[in-house]
Amino acid sequence: MSVHDMANAGRTHEILTARRAGLVGCTTCGKVHPLDTRVCRRCGAALQSRDETSLQRVWAWLIAGLVAYIPANVYPMLITQTFGKRQESTIVGGVIELVHHGSWGVALIVFVASVVVPIGKFIAIAWLAISVRSRSAADGHTRQHVYEIVEFIGRWSMIDVFVVAILAALVQLDFVASVNPGTAAVSFALSVAFTMLSAQNFDPRLIWDAYEADDT
Amino acid sequence: MNDLIEPAEPDIEPARRGFFRNLSLVWLVPIAALIVSLGLAWQSYSQRGVAITITFPNATGVTPGETVIKYRDVVVGTVEKLTFTSDLSAVVVHARVDKDIAPYLDEDAQFWIVSPKVTARGVSGLSTVLSGVYIEGAWDETPGEQKYSFVGADGPPLVQPGRPGKRISLITNDGRLVSEGAPVYFHGIEVGRLEKPRLILSSDTIIVDAFIEAPHDRRLTTATRFWDTSGVSFKIGTGGVSLDFDSLASIIAGGIEFDNLFEGGEPVGPGHVFNIYPDESEARRSLIARTPGATVTVAAQFDESISGLEPGADVTYNGLKVGEVKALSAKAEDTAEGPQVRLFANLTIEPDRLGLKAGATEDEVLQFLEEAVERGLRARLATASIFSSALIVELVELPDAPPAKLDRTAEPLPILPTVPSDLPDFTATAEGVLERINKLPIEDVLNQAISLMASIEQVVRAEGTQKTPDAVLALIEDTRSLVNDEATRALPSDLRAAVTDLRQIVAEMKEAGTFETLTQAIQRADAAVANIETASEQIPALVEDLRALAAKANSLQAEELIASATRVLDSADKLIGTDAARELPPALTGALEEIRAAVAELRKGGAVENLNATMASTRDAAESVAAAVERLPELSARLERLVAQSEALIAAYGDRSEFNDETLATLREVRNAARSVSQLARAIERNPNSLLMGR
Repeated sequence: MSVHDMANAGRTHEILTARRAGLVGCTTCGKVHPLDTRVCRRCGAALQSRDETSLQRVWAWLIAGLVAYIPANVYPMLITQTFGKRQESTIVGGVIELVHHGSWGVALIVFVASVVVPIGKFIAIAWLAISVRSRSAADGHTRQHVYEIVEFIGRWSMIDVFVVAILAALVQLDFVASVNPGTAAVSFALSVAFTMLSAQNFDPRLIWDAYEADDT
Repeated sequence: MNDLIEPAEPDIEPARRGFFRNLSLVWLVPIAALIVSLGLAWQSYSQRGVAITITFPNATGVTPGETVIKYRDVVVGTVEKLTFTSDLSAVVVHARVDKDIAPYLDEDAQFWIVSPKVTARGVSGLSTVLSGVYIEGAWDETPGEQKYSFVGADGPPLVQPGRPGKRISLITNDGRLVSEGAPVYFHGIEVGRLEKPRLILSSDTIIVDAFIEAPHDRRLTTATRFWDTSGVSFKIGTGGVSLDFDSLASIIAGGIEFDNLFEGGEPVGPGHVFNIYPDESEARRSLIARTPGATVTVAAQFDESISGLEPGADVTYNGLKVGEVKALSAKAEDTAEGPQVRLFANLTIEPDRLGLKAGATEDEVLQFLEEAVERGLRARLATASIFSSALIVELVELPDAPPAKLDRTAEPLPILPTVPSDLPDFTATAEGVLERINKLPIEDVLNQAISLMASIEQVVRAEGTQKTPDAVLALIEDTRSLVNDEATRALPSDLRAAVTDLRQIVAEMKEAGTFETLTQAIQRADAAVANIETASEQIPALVEDLRALAAKANSLQAEELIASATRVLDSADKLIGTDAARELPPALTGALEEIRAAVAELRKGGAVENLNATMASTRDAAESVAAAVERLPELSARLERLVAQSEALIAAYGDRSEFNDETLATLREVRNAARSVSQLARAIERNPNSLLMGR
């Protein structure tokens, strides 16, 4: 208690949440209503001071994303056929091959977009969800930043799927060369979508509740 | 007292929200994702093939993860990795094959690497040029005890496992005759393939397995012989020149043909061993060896040179091969005149070729030979053919040969008595014959024949002969004009009146002596016929000459014979040239002239009745001519006989070899000349009028 107080000293009073002020904000149009208002008077959206099932949904989507991420790495992402030679490459396999070819830059991009970002996202979302519950000592601003980064970067991990989709559409030269998406492409796309949904379902207001809890 | 019993304050607790009630439906998403993922995993696992290993001496072009295993050109597996055996002696290919295929991979499964190959029979595996090599597998259609490690083959198996047919072994001494995959033909149709030939360590023999496809494998019997058909064979022999070659593929890759060379062979089982013979004739000759081991070997001692006799040479009995010369040896023997080298030939004799039953024992064969020797059976050297100096041994029966016996006690082999051959004289005889032939005045004979023909032609073309038809024509013309004469035409109408007139005319003619003139004309025609007969009378003399000639020909003196023939031809020539013969046509013409005169007179006289009589006379004359000519065939027959006799004489000198043919051809020319004479004669005989009317 005392340690927390020390850590949060000087900030507690700076933050005044809507709930504490007896208000509820509309997440759609931003209009503020009294706390017990059910429906936004302006846009008609349902008003909730805190989304109680938010964390549940975050975890559900996150787990779905994780589950989808496993076949995305095990199965081949890209099936290339050149002169009858069939080649299947997984995400990591492709990165290693690119490294072998000396294309460090491309390898790095693919690695970051397909491995670092999704895994980082999993970790970030999981950390956010846990830290919100466990009222960890982490700075609310840090959590807010992490959340924003996750929200922003989430779409960029689709880069791999885009590459595969474009290649598969363009390179269809029958026997000479053809590129087809593998099972992993679908899995990976689903995994990214699930994590994005997971991030979206996170109610960022929960980040600040930790302070309230600290105070009361 | 006022104690109001108040109900106890109930413990009010907020309704406990059930855990599941609180649960969001979103949880279905990860559950679904999990189920799908697990499904994928299970599917992958269940579809994952069975791991097998295939060992290859080297794995050219095999790439892990890329190279596939195909069965009937359908992908059934993939190579996963390549390792070496522990001693690095081979490459182990680890692969996975489809689960539903795996049960079929039993003892008979075979794998080989397919790569592009260009052979004499075509290009194969061309598709692998672009796609890289693949491993092809072959196995039968029945699941067996499953195997997981295999030894790869060098190439496609000769026979796809499970294919009906028969596998046999062929033995040869010449590996050039056979090559792997070479076709096996039956009457030119491919019915099987050869496998890889291999040299047997213990001997020089090369053994090659062959697979004959069903149903042709039923043709394989103990009567079957295989021979090589590859390449080009060129042979010159007594049978002429023969050039044989098979298909281009078999020239390059070799080919084997087989056939059943005799009836009644026993069917053979798989694995039967056959020999490959260098060619068909060799294979046919080999029939003698069809019961190997049942031969009897005897020795024959020759006092003369056996140069030209080689092991393998035929032993014939009346021209039929009954065995062969197995070995030649020399042996020093002490004789009264000191040590002497004797030459022996070991003869292998096939009892069943001699007509003995196939299972005859050596004793029985020797017994048979012994009796045969008593009857005069002797061994003698002979030439294999007129073109070569190669010798064969022939068994001949000479009943008047000096008595001899089969020496059964002789060591190491029983000795068959021999008689000296007439070989050494043969060449001299042949030369002598050739010389004599050279000396024959063949050209003179030909010239004589030609001049004879010319003379005959001259007679035929002689003016008189040519004129004859003219005369006849004129006669006919006259006759026709007579018939066309109005007077003649008027005959039928005036017949009744004319008959009475005729009688009168005849009476008048008798008085006037017209009849006498007619008789005279007929007499002259008779004289002409007599002339012809005189001419013909000289023919018997010619025939006499010919007879003498034939007699001389019988005495086998070719030169004189030819001289005689020449003389005969001279005589014939002379005969044709005689004045009498030449006069014949003019005489005929004369006769016709007379007839014509007679007709003219008749016409003048207008006596139709007498015309018939005149014509009858003319017919008589023609018949006389025919009778005279009848003897001509006899002449030609004589000539022909002469030729035949000469031919027989020449034939007596030897076989119908080339030089004989030349002579015979010459003689045939002469005979043709004779035939021409004969034909002329026959033509005249058949149609005597042709002499008068032309052809």
